Amino acid sequence: MEFKANFLGGLFVDIIFYGIQFFFFSVIYSYVDALGVFTREDVIIFLIITFLSDTVYMFFFSGNLFNLNRWMVRGDLDFILLKPVPSQFMVSFRFVKSYAIISLFILIAMLFMLLASYRQPIGLLNVLIFIVSFLFGQILWYSVEFIISSSCFWFKNFSVAGWLSHEIMKFATRPDSIYTGLLRKVLFSFIPMILIASLPTRMLIYGPDMQYLFGQLLITTIFLMSARLVWKRGLIRYESASS
Amino acid sequence: MKAWIEKYFAVVQMTWIQTLEYKANAIVGTFAIFSGLLIEFLIWRQVFQTQNITELRGFTFNGLMAYIFLCMIVGQLKSSWATSIEMIDSIRTGELNKYLIRPISFFTYHFMMFIGHNSLFYIVYISVLILFPIFLPGWAFHTMFHILGFAVALLISIYLSYAIYFCMVCFAFWFGEVRALVIAYNVSNIVLSGQIIPLRLFPEYVREIIYYTPLQFLVDFPVSIATGNLPMHLWLPKMGLAICWCIVVSVIGRIIYRSGIRVYGGFGA
Repeated sequence: MEFKANFLGGLFVDIIFYGIQFFFFSVIYSYVDALGVFTREDVIIFLIITFLSDTVYMFFFSGNLFNLNRWMVRGDLDFILLKPVPSQFMVSFRFVKSYAIISLFILIAMLFMLLASYRQPIGLLNVLIFIVSFLFGQILWYSVEFIISSSCFWFKNFSVAGWLSHEIMKFATRPDSIYTGLLRKVLFSFIPMILIASLPTRMLIYGPDMQYLFGQLLITTIFLMSARLVWKRGLIRYESASS
Repeated sequence: MKAWIEKYFAVVQMTWIQTLEYKANAIVGTFAIFSGLLIEFLIWRQVFQTQNITELRGFTFNGLMAYIFLCMIVGQLKSSWATSIEMIDSIRTGELNKYLIRPISFFTYHFMMFIGHNSLFYIVYISVLILFPIFLPGWAFHTMFHILGFAVALLISIYLSYAIYFCMVCFAFWFGEVRALVIAYNVSNIVLSGQIIPLRLFPEYVREIIYYTPLQFLVDFPVSIATGNLPMHLWLPKMGLAICWCIVVSVIGRIIYRSGIRVYGGFGA
């Protein structure tokens, strides 16, 4: 909270980003009534959930994982490893981006309003399963980002990790109904971007699907364990500053 | 003049050598273009299939894909936000001092650095552009004039984009934190300059507003020339207008920079 300009700036960027995404879909939906099962109304809810995921990720992780490469190259990682705290926890949760709290409240309020005015009532079970699915999605996002960021141990200086993650995450910012065939299978499994925001949206508005939910749990567990493994392997390779 | 060219060419060369060390940039950049194109392909395919149409405001599906593909390349070539962030840091930390005491321009030095940094992209994307008419004949670059027109419009776009970023960077003299402004502009620019949706598909009122700004010359103009969406008789008047925008934005940047230098404290030096 010491850096008010940063705080306001972050908020400003978020507002622009949300506005631009809405504008993008408003142009698309001026030519079409629905993208697969996602109507205009559904896509707005999907976008809010995508923004919520993004905001939660920004709040907890982005200020940490984005810097991992720099910490490794400059040797700052040494100080983290010396602390009597699990190192993966420390590099993942050291800093928070406080401005995201404001966005978080606004987005939750918007989601409630949209759900209240949705064409059919949304049951409590939908909301509960959505929360679980959303959390799985967050853990999955964290795991994917963490694996990409940790690749700096192998590439020595992987400064484009943030850019690469951003490009992969783009698949999560579009409704899953546009993906078909092999690509859809890949985005459900090896690069599970559909599971981050699209699946929780489906759980919320179209009702719980236990098969999807258990699939999400399985993939999330595999990715979380992979992230742990990559970190441990990476630390073995780590040679301190200027490595 | 010769000394000026040699001086700044040395900057391009130096940055070029640095850039060659980081080939991953070009690989991720190429991935960004193809992954972005894939998403656009899937969305627009669904629009065309659902509506059962073969043309959308003058765009066939293939024509639209060629347009978006070129837009993504141009969008990446002209984007100098990373250089802009470095310039903002120079002002914030007082590193700008070294430009003030040496016979070198802050604007031109960073412009050359930007060109140098992007040089790997230029090689990769120019190769892609050369292959474009070979593998997808008739989708773009119908004649040599189209190639030439595209090249000129692209140069204008790169300069204009950099000059706009420079204006925003100069606000760092008054407000320490203007990175948010640059990032917000960059995010909005991706859509509003027509990088992922052609301007022609925008609602009428939004398009009219954009046509009063230089945004139309950043991506839409060069790509419209390449794909033949802009009639040839409009090329020169539009290029004239784009050059006018370059002059206007450069002058504004210069004024802001000069005013900024007066309030600059050189802290952190």
